[in-house]
Amino acid sequence: MTTEQWARLSSDAFNLALFAYIAAMIASFAYLAFRRERLHTVATAIGVIGLVANGVSIVTRGIAAGRTPWGNMYEYSTMITFLVVLGYLWFIEARAKVRTVGGFVYAMAVLWMAMAVSFFYVGPTALMPALNSYWRQIHVTAMITASSLLGIGCLLTIVYLIKAASERRELERLRTGTTPPPIMGGAGVETSDQDAPPDYAGGADEPVGSATTSRKIGLPPSATLDALAYKFIRFGFPVWTFGVICGAIWAQQTWGRYWGWDPKETWSFITWVIFAGYLHARATAGWKGTRAAIVALVGFVSLLITYYAVNLWIAGLHSYAK
Amino acid sequence: MSGPVASTPSSLRKSVALVWRTLRSMRTAIVLLLMLAAGAVVGSLIPQIPNSPQRVAAYQVDHPLWAKLWQAAGFFDVFGSWWFALITTLLFVSLVACLIPRSRAMIRAARAKPIHARELDAFPAFAERRVALEPEAAAAKAATMLRRKHYRVELDAASGSVAAEKGALREIGSLAFHWAFLLLLIAVIVGKGTGYVGHATIVEGYGWTDAQFNYDGDVRTGRFFGGDFSGTQIQLQNFQDDFRTSGIPMDFSSQMSLTAPDGTTEQADVRINHPVVFNGIRIYQFGFGWAPIVQVRRGDQTLFDGPVVLGQTTPPGGNPLAQPWTGFVKLTTLRPQIAIAVRLYPDAVAYFQSLATGVPQPMTEANAPFMEYEVWQGKLLDNSLTTLDTRFMHQTSQGLIGKGWTVDATRGCVISGTSGAIPASLGNVTCPTNGGPATLTMGFPDLRQYTTLQISHDATVPWVLAAAILIVLGLLPALYISRRKVWVRARPDGTGSSLQVGGFALQRKDRFDEEFASLVEAVTTAAGGATTRESQPESRPESQEVSP
Ligand code: HEM
Repeated sequence: MTTEQWARLSSDAFNLALFAYIAAMIASFAYLAFRRERLHTVATAIGVIGLVANGVSIVTRGIAAGRTPWGNMYEYSTMITFLVVLGYLWFIEARAKVRTVGGFVYAMAVLWMAMAVSFFYVGPTALMPALNSYWRQIHVTAMITASSLLGIGCLLTIVYLIKAASERRELERLRTGTTPPPIMGGAGVETSDQDAPPDYAGGADEPVGSATTSRKIGLPPSATLDALAYKFIRFGFPVWTFGVICGAIWAQQTWGRYWGWDPKETWSFITWVIFAGYLHARATAGWKGTRAAIVALVGFVSLLITYYAVNLWIAGLHSYAK
Repeated sequence: MSGPVASTPSSLRKSVALVWRTLRSMRTAIVLLLMLAAGAVVGSLIPQIPNSPQRVAAYQVDHPLWAKLWQAAGFFDVFGSWWFALITTLLFVSLVACLIPRSRAMIRAARAKPIHARELDAFPAFAERRVALEPEAAAAKAATMLRRKHYRVELDAASGSVAAEKGALREIGSLAFHWAFLLLLIAVIVGKGTGYVGHATIVEGYGWTDAQFNYDGDVRTGRFFGGDFSGTQIQLQNFQDDFRTSGIPMDFSSQMSLTAPDGTTEQADVRINHPVVFNGIRIYQFGFGWAPIVQVRRGDQTLFDGPVVLGQTTPPGGNPLAQPWTGFVKLTTLRPQIAIAVRLYPDAVAYFQSLATGVPQPMTEANAPFMEYEVWQGKLLDNSLTTLDTRFMHQTSQGLIGKGWTVDATRGCVISGTSGAIPASLGNVTCPTNGGPATLTMGFPDLRQYTTLQISHDATVPWVLAAAILIVLGLLPALYISRRKVWVRARPDGTGSSLQVGGFALQRKDRFDEEFASLVEAVTTAAGGATTRESQPESRPESQEVSP
């Protein structure tokens, strides 16, 4: 096959993946609303198709460009989408058996891919020599992995906040209503421990306090979501740290300074500091729960700025996006 | 802290204590971290003087009012501003205030022995087994087993009691991480503060010495830099560039010999991503370009003889390699003063091909190079080698000069030289033989390349790297290791003993149940194995196993 044919195949696979993720998103949200087992099966099947297409798109692009396919923003975005969906299907759906958050994950994947094509598309080309370093490969790989992990963590945090709010409303309703309050109805919003989720081995989606059935959002208990989110962020943080350090080593090698407060560097530092703040907040009484979750969300916004806004609006040494 | 105070401390001492306590709190750390982030946000949104002085100047013209405000607040140099330094310092103090007691506590904990417990069934994880060995032996065996599982163990054999704990590495890692972060901050500040960085342009066959005034433009020196540049001499022997056929650069390399003031010399090859460290400075490949050797004479008086470093202005979207290179020779001693502006086409063949086809061709190699020149007379306003202010000048002539030619610059005609690849129609007019002696002749004997190197001195780079490695190494146990405590108690029970095991984990509790179950099995086996009811008829069946 010629380079052009590989490039076209990559584009086609990208489009297929995008449409598959849209369909999976719709099916997942439908499952969340109607709880039909078949909807979940369909969502997972389409999600897997999207994931495979996404992977094919990455590999064929690498072949077309004749190098590892993470050289610019478009490629980072496709890679991150791949890892986020993979991480979701593997760890959250298959291992932790949480099924109801898929819609949010696919929504993020769709957004990420749409951003990639609309703002960052470039054809597969070779790299500038300055960008061609061993450390760059490690740096970029680490940053992509960390972003995916932190991304999933923050997504779960959003879902956690939604669920925690609904649990609080529920508790309030029980307290003011005629029904006696439940005995520890699994809705430990403030008591969510460092990392002790209620056993989520099976049927984690079902609210624990089954006696308090009423109109509820059909999501896993907030403590489960919180613990899962923490796991992903705790995993993502050291990887981000490592990635930033590798970036500094690369910068030292290429530009003669390991740190220059270039906008991309500045923002990766900001993101790092905010997530460090999150980890501290988790360990501090009074900051656990909602406040820590908000810090995590601020961190995620900062991560998105690190990725996108810096390339779109703020120029710097890293402005090889276009 | 509370309670009656013997001698009333001054309110000053009280408030100092309060400030110290506040600084030590984790809440302060969080707030300071977020403030550090907020400062960095400002630094990335408002143009910064150290990074882009031109953009700051433009901003001051466009938004004079805001600019004044930002100026006053130090927002144009956030990372060098007093308030950023204040936040960093507070974070420093907070870190130290928090780390010293934590480190002390850790050392104390490392010396102390695990403490025995009484009511084992009160712990979140608990199990009871009957084993064959007597209490003393059973406890000893259990202790050995726990040691083998890397627990720190304290055995009181007489009372059949074992206390064990594991996971101190978490706190060690966390402390290592925090100290390393402190070290990193200090190393960065010292390194940048005592270092310098600048750019040096050297033409093939020429030399350069590391001293303040030899740099292109400004050298950026640190706040505590004493002014002693390294004095290293660099002699550029050859510059090499390789391009793909598409004109995309592949590699650049500068071959040079380096000499330190003490006489040590070294041969070096500086390439993209392959800097060279010598005599305390780091040398990086930064840029490159063309430098024609130009000779200007009036009669037999030589006015200029040397390389002219040329630069490029690339139109947006254009291929820089398809653009000509421009530069100036400024003859300041003449009255009136004279400036010769040159425009170099390194590859005549590629250039005329792009003229003919309309498709820009990259000019990556010297191939029948030629220059267009303009002679200006009048008053020079500056010595810049990259711009010419013609407000007080007028152009007297123009022409073309190929490599190896000599031209009469006053009349714009060629004295000697073969046109080769250059069409005669382009104005390479041969001078009339009877025109009299030329007043200003210009020669172009050679075309060379120059390299631009970035030269920097930063003494703490190894420290920064070490701190960074320690940060990652400390972070991993700090985030992943969990602290666990386990107790075993053996009491006489018939011929054997009844073994109680209790414990808990401070972190990652969801993982502990499994570990605890296997620990109970291991300890039971070590203590002679669980005995069956037949061999111990007097046992109470309900105490066989108690699960939490
Ligand atoms: C300056 C930047 C700082 C960074 C990047 C940082 C980062 C971290 C990280 C990543 C952890 C691990 C969190 C966990 O175990 O879940 C941690 C823990 C901790 N930090 Fe910091 N920290 C910083 C400053 C401070 C300061 C100034 C203090 C004290 C006032 C402090 C006190 C602590 C304590 C006590 C823990 C242990 C929490 C625990 O494991 O329960 N940190 N820090």
